[in-house]
Amino acid sequence: MSENKKKILEMLAAGKISAEEALKLLNAVDAGEGAQEKTRRVESDTKVKPKYLRVTVTPGEGHVDPEHADRVNVRVPMSLIRAGLKLTSLIPPDALDKANNALREKGINFDVRNIKPEDLEELIAALGDMEVDIEGGRGEKVKVFVE
Amino acid sequence: MNWPPMLMHVKIQNEKTRFGLWLPLFLLLPLALVVLIILSPLILIAIIILWACGYGRWVWWALRCLKVAIVSSWAIRGLRVDVQGHNGVVQVSVI
Repeated sequence: MSENKKKILEMLAAGKISAEEALKLLNAVDAGEGAQEKTRRVESDTKVKPKYLRVTVTPGEGHVDPEHADRVNVRVPMSLIRAGLKLTSLIPPDALDKANNALREKGINFDVRNIKPEDLEELIAALGDMEVDIEGGRGEKVKVFVE
Repeated sequence: MNWPPMLMHVKIQNEKTRFGLWLPLFLLLPLALVVLIILSPLILIAIIILWACGYGRWVWWALRCLKVAIVSSWAIRGLRVDVQGHNGVVQVSVI
C-alpha cells in the first residue's frame, strides 16, 4: 500500500474526511500511480534489448610483436546466457546446498534456489548498462560490454 | 522467430596443426529429429518402466535436461569465440 493511501485511510479513521471523500481521493491516487507505471513501462520498452555479451582483449599499442600478441574476441548471445541460467533448476538439491554454503563462507548470503525467471529477465536487462574497461600494465585492454 | 543454428565453423591452428571444419548443422538437426522419432517408442517404453519402478523423479529430471539441451542448442546461434595467442589460434563460430 502506498503512503498516500495509508494517509487517506488514517484521515478516514480519524473522522477528518467522509467515506465518499476518501473514495474520491483513493481513486485519484490510483489514477496517478497508474499513469506513473505506464510511463515507466513505455521507458523500459523503448530501451534496446541487448543481444550479445562481448569480451575483448587487445594488446597495447606499444607491444613488441603485435602480430603474435594475445587477443581474445568472444561474443555470447544473450539467449544462450538465459538458457544457461535456467540450468540452475537442474542442479540436484544436495549440490545446491553445497553451492549455497560455499557462497555463505565467502560472505555472500544468497540462495541460488531463489532465482526466478522474472529475476533472470531483470538481471539480463540490467546487463545492458554494464561496461567493464580495464587497461593492464603492459597496455593490454580488457573490455566486457553488451551490444 | 529464433532460427536454429545452421553452420558451425571450428578452426584450430598452431605451429604443428592446422585444422578447420565447417559443420552443417542444418543437415544434422533433421537427422537428429529423425533418430528421435525412430527411437521415440523405445524411449516411451523406458519412461513407463522407470516410472513404474519408482524412478519417476529421474525420468522427470532427464526430460528437463533434454528440454534445456534443445533450448541451449537453439540459442547458440551467434556465438563467436576467437582466441589468438603467440602459440596458435582457436576460432569457433556458429552461424
